[in-house]
Amino acid sequence: MQLPVLTILFPLFGAFVTVALAWSVRSGGRKNVMPIAVGALASSAACAVVLLTQVLTTGSQIYLLGGWAPPWGISLVVDPLSALMLVVVSVGALLNLIAFSFTPSKWPLGKTPAFLGLYLLATAGHLGIVATGDVFNLFVFIEVAALSSYALLSMEGRRATFASLNYLLVGSVGASLYLLGVGYLYIESGSLNMLDIASILTALPLSTTTLTGFAVLMLGLWVKMAVFPFHAWLPAAYASASPAASGLLAPLTTKVMAYVIVRMLITVFPQNLLAGMSGFSSMVVWLACVAIIAGAIMAIAQQDLRRMLCFILVAEVGYMLGGAFLGNSTAMTGTILHILADAAMTLTLFMAVGIIIARTGSSRIQDMDGMFTTMPVTMLAFVAGALSMIGVPPFCGFFSKWYLVSGALEAGHWVFAGSLILSSLVNVLLFFRIFERAFFRKPSVAAVQDTGDWQQLAPLCFIALLLPAIGLATGGIIQEIIQPALKGVL
Amino acid sequence: MHSLGEVFASHFNYIAYVAIMMVGLYAMAAKSNLIKKLIGLGIFQTSIMLLYVSIGAKKGATIPILAKGATTISPADYINPLPHVLMLTAIVVSVATLGVALALVQKIHKHFNSIEEDEILKELRR
Repeated sequence: MQLPVLTILFPLFGAFVTVALAWSVRSGGRKNVMPIAVGALASSAACAVVLLTQVLTTGSQIYLLGGWAPPWGISLVVDPLSALMLVVVSVGALLNLIAFSFTPSKWPLGKTPAFLGLYLLATAGHLGIVATGDVFNLFVFIEVAALSSYALLSMEGRRATFASLNYLLVGSVGASLYLLGVGYLYIESGSLNMLDIASILTALPLSTTTLTGFAVLMLGLWVKMAVFPFHAWLPAAYASASPAASGLLAPLTTKVMAYVIVRMLITVFPQNLLAGMSGFSSMVVWLACVAIIAGAIMAIAQQDLRRMLCFILVAEVGYMLGGAFLGNSTAMTGTILHILADAAMTLTLFMAVGIIIARTGSSRIQDMDGMFTTMPVTMLAFVAGALSMIGVPPFCGFFSKWYLVSGALEAGHWVFAGSLILSSLVNVLLFFRIFERAFFRKPSVAAVQDTGDWQQLAPLCFIALLLPAIGLATGGIIQEIIQPALKGVL
Repeated sequence: MHSLGEVFASHFNYIAYVAIMMVGLYAMAAKSNLIKKLIGLGIFQTSIMLLYVSIGAKKGATIPILAKGATTISPADYINPLPHVLMLTAIVVSVATLGVALALVQKIHKHFNSIEEDEILKELRR
């Protein structure tokens, strides 16, 4: 019964232990912190996996922090959907850390304890966002995750520092707007517990206060999620950060924020809300279309592989946002599937590119010549991630896009379906441009093959193999996790 | 319909918080000095704290500490302490944000020898 809180506490306390140990043991302390960090994340991932199996067999778990009953106390609520997200966050963070923990060069060795502490703290923040059942506690966890992200992203040269300060300014405004939305919710309902707010708001007639709160809260989440007009921080911060930091945050932050939007729509706000403001939700779907197309167009213009992936990510954010607001259960299923699929494929791609950067020191597209001869395993995983991003069956990206497109057609929103397909076609163009260079051109410098570096490649291969596995498990995921979450909602 | 004056008087706290928020947002968008941007962020965050604290207020109520020897507790006699407690947390968060931001500005100053955004951008483009 303690598993929900243990999943968060392992990385949280792991963060302090890593930093404290590095201070206390002057010599050799820096070498010892890595096993502690890996151990903390492994324990957290194990808790999350056990928790998921428990939740699937015996039903949702509610953990009362300090034994205070809601609505007064803060509770952690783990239903099948949030249990799945806990697994995604903790396993993703663990795999990425293992892949980059033993990189010989390009690792900020002088700052290892601080880096690991922040890494664990960011993971704990994201886990907390997923698990919490309290809207104000969610704000605190958003800030825990965000503050450690700003510091993590800044630890790589001057461009990264400036980009992460810009991210801090934008991200703090986003979190503040979320807090403002929570304020309006509190004015209307007098409660902060998600389930309590839901039952109070359903009993009340829809008021302008609720609608204002909803709009402001969503605006804040969009800023944090990098929806198109507010996206500028994302490519700047993720493309200049160290590979380990962008490999952690690119898959997690936007997906966890998408999860929060889904949670707000299906749990917190009453069901007649979106019907009561149909103009708003159709505006959001149009915004998502613009985000998808803009992300695709900007991705074409990039000369750097990681920057290109960042703009593809901006387009993917549009998929998830549009699916959530289309207002039918097929599209919502697609959104939830895409949160899972996008986390897995973004992790694969960013890990592969991170390994390329760690090895060659460059991620420019023109330097990808002959990559298949020099780094065959990494490139195979990259191809798996790319095919999933394009949406080739049986990779998981295909199934989520299928549900999103069907949901769009069900809602009669042809433009959204069209933008989805257009962006998939652009992805084909983008990725085959790289495959062509990597396959058919001669490498500019002869290099040793990457096959020996198993510690780095094992996690990458694992996540790459998971992509078709998740795709084939789609039916089970929908039946066991998504349908119970959407029951009685849409 | 209420007259404009009535609306202003009854919604004074809301108007004030929006006005302060816009001042903060303007500073963040228009100033090129990074420290001034951070001051703008501080003003922005403070405006939301002001909103929260103002919604806990009640007419004729006192601070939420039980009077000595009070036997019956009437909620109308005390202001709502919960928003204040939430804002204590939000203040801590904004202090932490400011701390991280100032550390980043220091690092930027070390790298670029400037805290003016336009000069930094010029330097980065070179």
